[in-house]
Amino acid sequence: MFEFAWYHGRRRIKGAGALTVGLGLLTALYVWMFPTITAEVNLDEYVEAWPPALRQAFGVESLSTIEGFLASELYAFGWVLLLGLYVAYSAASLVADDVEHDRMDMTLSLPVTRSRVLVEKFASMLVPILLVNLLMPVVVYAGVLAIGESIAVGDLVMVHLLSVPYLLASAAVGLLASVAVDRASIAQRAAVGVVFGLFLVDSVTSGTEFSWLGAVSPTRYYDPTAILVRGQWDLQGAAVLLGTTLVLVLASRELFRRKDIA
Amino acid sequence: MSAITVNGLTKEYGDVLANDAVSFEVEVGETFGYLGPNGAGKTTTIRTIMGFQSPTSGTATVLGADVRDEAALVEAKERVGYLPSNPGFDETATGTEILDLHASVKGDSRRAELLDLFDVPVGRKIRGYSTGQKQKLGLVQAFMHDPDLVVMDEPTAGLDPLVQQRFNEFIREETRQGVTVFLSSHVLSEVRRVCDRVGIIRDGRIVTVERVGALLDRSGKFVRLRVANHVDAGEVSLDGAHDVSVKPVDAVAAGAAAGGSGAVASTATELTFTFTGDLNTLVDFVDDFDVLELDIEEAPLEEIFMRFYDDEGVAV
Repeated sequence: MFEFAWYHGRRRIKGAGALTVGLGLLTALYVWMFPTITAEVNLDEYVEAWPPALRQAFGVESLSTIEGFLASELYAFGWVLLLGLYVAYSAASLVADDVEHDRMDMTLSLPVTRSRVLVEKFASMLVPILLVNLLMPVVVYAGVLAIGESIAVGDLVMVHLLSVPYLLASAAVGLLASVAVDRASIAQRAAVGVVFGLFLVDSVTSGTEFSWLGAVSPTRYYDPTAILVRGQWDLQGAAVLLGTTLVLVLASRELFRRKDIA
Repeated sequence: MSAITVNGLTKEYGDVLANDAVSFEVEVGETFGYLGPNGAGKTTTIRTIMGFQSPTSGTATVLGADVRDEAALVEAKERVGYLPSNPGFDETATGTEILDLHASVKGDSRRAELLDLFDVPVGRKIRGYSTGQKQKLGLVQAFMHDPDLVVMDEPTAGLDPLVQQRFNEFIREETRQGVTVFLSSHVLSEVRRVCDRVGIIRDGRIVTVERVGALLDRSGKFVRLRVANHVDAGEVSLDGAHDVSVKPVDAVAAGAAAGGSGAVASTATELTFTFTGDLNTLVDFVDDFDVLELDIEEAPLEEIFMRFYDDEGVAV
């Protein structure tokens, strides 16, 4: 068991490593800038001038504390948007790319069920998701200590732990696109479009009478600002995201089992 | 028991009827050639019996497993090897990594022996492989778990003639060991070297299924004969010759092609025909001429199809 998960997982280590290094550098830059910026301008006054929708979109509550700064600059942007889109994009090629390049025939000629191929391929997405979330808290914590600030370890761990269900749900959107469409480029665009579109729906409607619309967006159930600034851990939201992931993976599996490989 | 039974298999892609009630059986231990021009529906049949797509109607069994029953088919696949027409591999992996992955789910008791035979650069990334090297890697993975049945779609495409010959010898040896082989091709001369029986498909329909020997007897030879002097079409009478064409040609060109001994006749004639009679009769016939050039080759598949359709027209 898990031969395909190991195989595909191993092949993702390099990319995940590069991603971690990139995010690590971005984090170092933000953390290093933080004392300079806060010394020169009152960010909270600056943010007051922003349109409320923009503040909502990036979960800006307080930029003058390191927690608020990281939540909006690093996590709302780097995790919710960047990583969310990255995993959706990657997962979108899981099936479609193999079908497009005649590799799926080769795989399915082996004595394996389609269900197993699909689930193990999806499981390989855990490599980038887990690797980034295991290494980055260390980088963030070390960075914060280095500039003489402090951050609650529990909240820092939770902001990463609770991002895992969010990223899995984003990846599952990509998986569904990958099974539904036979061309990887189209599946990738569809997945990125859907995840970004849902992010917009949640941010634009947030604080308006249409905010109920945002409930369909995964971003509604993972709020880095709430975790880091207010110490609120939305475990129920995480459960919703895991449930969504399960439903999307099962739907993809059903579709994959029935489809003609082109 | 049959290794493969195809029973009324029909596959439609939208408006296109790729397979129309295709039926045939492949016996255990035989080498069966699935022959037809490009686009005839060979790959459709193969991909359906491998379970990559479901039949529109009809069905097929592989080692007793119905192709519509995934669990049964997956179990049967432990004893099936498969080589697609364009084997697709993860380009970023090495040959060894691919074989390791395949081995982990189906075994690889014959891997070393096959790598000796087909000489694949397994240490290199597949991105750098030539078409022939990919094909050979495909062959190794198709046979390495010592399967009872091997299904191959155009296996010799992309192989150079020397490897093709090694492949033919290998297939004959496998058949002697009791392996059932089902392979497709659009070239009759390829199939006749290894197959016991052939099924011919055209426009999605099976035209005939018969022994290779019988097919060759029926299909005959394509003969091109250049002789000195002028020959009248009326002078040519030969039992078993079809579609006879007689035309005068430039004698110098004909002589040069024959090696140009210097004794070039002033006129020459080219006779072409398809011959299905006794070869001794043909030799006697040729003996009456001053021969400049003589080519005898297998009739092209297209000619055979035309004859089958002609025959059918006569029979019906």
